[in-house]
Amino acid sequence: MAGTLVARARVTRRRKMSPSAFLQKYLGYLMLALVAYWMLTKFIKSPSQFFSAALDGLENGTLYALIALGYTLVYGIIELINFAHGDLFMLGTMMSALVLSKLGVDHSSLTGWLGLVFTLVVVMAACATLNVIIEFLAYRRLRRAPKLAPLITAVGVSFILQNIALHFHGSTPKQHPSALPAASFNIGSVQINQAFLVVIAVTAPLLLLMTFIVQRTRQGKAMRATAQDQDAARLMGVNVNRTISFTFALGGALAGAAGLMYEQTVGTTSYNLGQQLGLIAFTAAVLGGIGNLVGAVLGGLLIGLIQGLNDGLPLLGQLWSQSVVFTVLILLMVFKPEGILGKPTTEKV
Amino acid sequence: MATAELVGPPETREHGRLTHNARWAIGFGTAAVLIFVTYHWVLPSLNANINTFVNSWLPLSVVDECMVWMICALGLNIVVGFAGLLDLGYVAFWAIGGYTAGWLISGQFYNLKIDIFGSPAAGTPGIHINFWLVLVAAAILTALMGILIGAPTLRLKSDYLALVTLGFGEIIPQFFKNGDHLGTLSGSGGFDFTHGERGITPVDPITIGPWKLGPFDLDWQFAVFAAIAAFVIFVCLRLRVGRLGRAWLAIREDELAASMMGVPLMRTKLAAYAVGAVAGGLGGVAFAEHVGGVLPDSFDFSISITLLAMVVLGGMGNVWGVMIGALVLSWINANGLKQVGSTFNSTFGTSWDFPSYNYLMFGLILVLMMLFRREGLLPESRTKLLLREPSRTDVESVGADLEGESA
Amino acid sequence: MSADLGTGPVSNALTADNISVVFGGLVAVNDVSFTIPDQSIVSLIGPNGAGKTTFFNVLTGLYTPTSGDVRFGDRDITGQPPHKIASWGMARTFQNIRLFGLMTAEENVMVAMHSHMRAGIFSTVFGLPKQRREEKEAREVAVDLLDFVGINHTRGEYARNLSYGDQRRLEVARALALKPRVLLLDEPTAGMNPQESARFVEFVHRVRTEKKLAVLLIEHDMSVVMRVSERITVLDRGEKIAEGGPADIKSNQRVIEAYLGKSGAEASEV
Repeated sequence: MAGTLVARARVTRRRKMSPSAFLQKYLGYLMLALVAYWMLTKFIKSPSQFFSAALDGLENGTLYALIALGYTLVYGIIELINFAHGDLFMLGTMMSALVLSKLGVDHSSLTGWLGLVFTLVVVMAACATLNVIIEFLAYRRLRRAPKLAPLITAVGVSFILQNIALHFHGSTPKQHPSALPAASFNIGSVQINQAFLVVIAVTAPLLLLMTFIVQRTRQGKAMRATAQDQDAARLMGVNVNRTISFTFALGGALAGAAGLMYEQTVGTTSYNLGQQLGLIAFTAAVLGGIGNLVGAVLGGLLIGLIQGLNDGLPLLGQLWSQSVVFTVLILLMVFKPEGILGKPTTEKV
Repeated sequence: MATAELVGPPETREHGRLTHNARWAIGFGTAAVLIFVTYHWVLPSLNANINTFVNSWLPLSVVDECMVWMICALGLNIVVGFAGLLDLGYVAFWAIGGYTAGWLISGQFYNLKIDIFGSPAAGTPGIHINFWLVLVAAAILTALMGILIGAPTLRLKSDYLALVTLGFGEIIPQFFKNGDHLGTLSGSGGFDFTHGERGITPVDPITIGPWKLGPFDLDWQFAVFAAIAAFVIFVCLRLRVGRLGRAWLAIREDELAASMMGVPLMRTKLAAYAVGAVAGGLGGVAFAEHVGGVLPDSFDFSISITLLAMVVLGGMGNVWGVMIGALVLSWINANGLKQVGSTFNSTFGTSWDFPSYNYLMFGLILVLMMLFRREGLLPESRTKLLLREPSRTDVESVGADLEGESA
Repeated sequence: MSADLGTGPVSNALTADNISVVFGGLVAVNDVSFTIPDQSIVSLIGPNGAGKTTFFNVLTGLYTPTSGDVRFGDRDITGQPPHKIASWGMARTFQNIRLFGLMTAEENVMVAMHSHMRAGIFSTVFGLPKQRREEKEAREVAVDLLDFVGINHTRGEYARNLSYGDQRRLEVARALALKPRVLLLDEPTAGMNPQESARFVEFVHRVRTEKKLAVLLIEHDMSVVMRVSERITVLDRGEKIAEGGPADIKSNQRVIEAYLGKSGAEASEV
């Protein structure tokens, strides 16, 4: 029925804007303009500093994109903010450190690279499995429950994972050696680390593969069908449970890959890493438009960029790094909750 | 006492017998008096063994701490249990309350010398305002902050709201942590608003009339905290049965239908947020007094989750259930698990580190309660129904109805 | 506010001028004009997807029309938030019952009095005399309304536990608590058998005369529509294709083609 379609009518109408709506609309633009102005002045003052800060940001941004995809996939299919996803990533960093230290991998040799690839596969598989188990144990029973229930469960799972990690890892962050090459080269006056290129070389194919799976394969079609209407999908012969499990597996695998990359580039593991990065990644997912895969990647890169510029130029400096990202999140929620590529939705009557 | 005021809606009023709420209120009052009498008069006269036992299992400082948790959990219950808004950053209000105390009853602002019925040590600079006035100030400030935080975010869908509140729960403590060099980027100089990681200590003691509480007057501290708690309980129960409480419940049940029945969603949600925040602020002031100052590191995410676990364990929306849930979990948190652990270890010769499983347990409580007993251990009857799966579907209802008609 | 029937010129309770609603590229309602005279009973019919519910949602403020105006009495309500429109006297029921399941029947009705009550946080907490009086009066009104729809015996029960028929009645009682000038009923006889439907027609007339309000129905059951309505508007694919009394509509060729096509024979037997 027409009434149940997505309503854009409210947006297209200009007449009789209340003062608060007016403020909301233009305050948003004003802030964007201020940020753009700030970036421009920094750029003119010192292009090389600008670019290196931006590159640092983009490196983090690719990781955020990987994690954000996990959020967006799960939200897209069962409308649940999987609070535990960030912690899954955190477990990924720890597993990476564990596997790599057992293998004794060092860089600059063929076995070293093979070891890295092996670790990537192991961690991705482990995180995927873990995510599927979490879904099976904690979320599946609550699929038809009121929304508050699975949300609280997800928070609980997140807390459990954090404390499991706390037990095995201890409360202090640990530093790990990197197996990636430490060399770097310059383009103009901007320094580029080889490690950064490795991160790109791993994440880009994963992102492409993900898009391919969702857009082109049978399983992807089942995912999209389940996302639209679970009951209808079931009637059309889609195994909804398996499809949701598959989605969690995909998200988990990406979180695992992000875990390894983080462990290799940043080099620290900490039990509360997931909560911080999870929130950032979720911000990225919302920024891009939740449920939208391309949006998640775009959002991840953008958030990384914002953070890189804030830390590197600096706007408020590293001390306030988290606050800057959360401020972005909050502003976003207020001014454009549907994100860059998302569609506005209203409730069905 | 105000027990006569604590009457429920008429449909639960029982002729000739005390109402449910009145019975609980009398129970709470009696328990509070008993605890005070026990610790103030009875214990000191008993022998050392009993004293050691009580002091290791339930020292008075733990009882006081439990009261603080209870006050905050009741506040969170208004937001989560009554209005159905998931707030994962409730610790922010606790922190704001704590810092209000830090600012208004300490030597933090050493250029100033203000004393309004305060209790400063002689000649100390800073702002020193009477404890009870600070409670009022914290209530006003947290209510304003609740509105300020809520105004832009409460329009969001419930799950987004949870996330944004989580963000606020991170930003506000970060502000307190880094707020010692405001106006600069360098990390030195600037205005010292929050004294950074060192926090603000000490705060002046609580005063009751002309009398200052000493650091060891934990029994009187308990009396003060119990009075604050009683006030919060009273507010919860009164609001619950009135116009605002009905609107909250309606929003929790069906937001769209509520707005179609003339309930302004934003204003009603904001009210829940503000009232809930006030309880957090009162708890924050009490906590600052309890530990003698405020430290930014004590306000982290785990507090919000612990409070949520208390609300969930006791039964969302049920004032008395949440109260019990808060008391039990805060005791476990503060002291119980440690005691159980050491008893267990000494009995069985093991060496398990029980307290380190504390938060794991809270996580498990959240998950297991949601999976198996969503209405909480002490469910309020209506929440119980809300959170259970529908017992019969609409189609079945239609069928049953039609059958009834034709018969 | 409510002029007696037959005295003086009948004013319009609600006027919708040239309403269009566009969702993305889809035109759900196209340039529909429509009036509800005070204390009349008007129906909106049309096949599935004709835009009836969308139109309803425009009237209650859930959607803002892409173009056009809605006037409620003398007030322009286009683009106003739903709770305000409701408090000015526009009440509705829902196609799929949307009661507050875990509130008692009485409380459900009292929720709708929210906008007519004044008690704030302080007067509620301290139980000031004014607040107590207001609560008492609201409760009395709620009981009266439950009596009016005939389900007073359920006042202390949770709405969710009521039978389907009682839930429908409770929805009407709740809507009436807004003291509406216009009552919108969205498929009120869905799930009713013929006897119940017949009783419902009487009930609508009683509501109109006793509560002195106008009623707008969306209805699929043609027998109900023809018996209850004083005027019928027919929508098809977002456009108004006919308007008139039951007899006109029954014989309108365009309506029969567009809407009654398959069940035309049935409808003309009624």
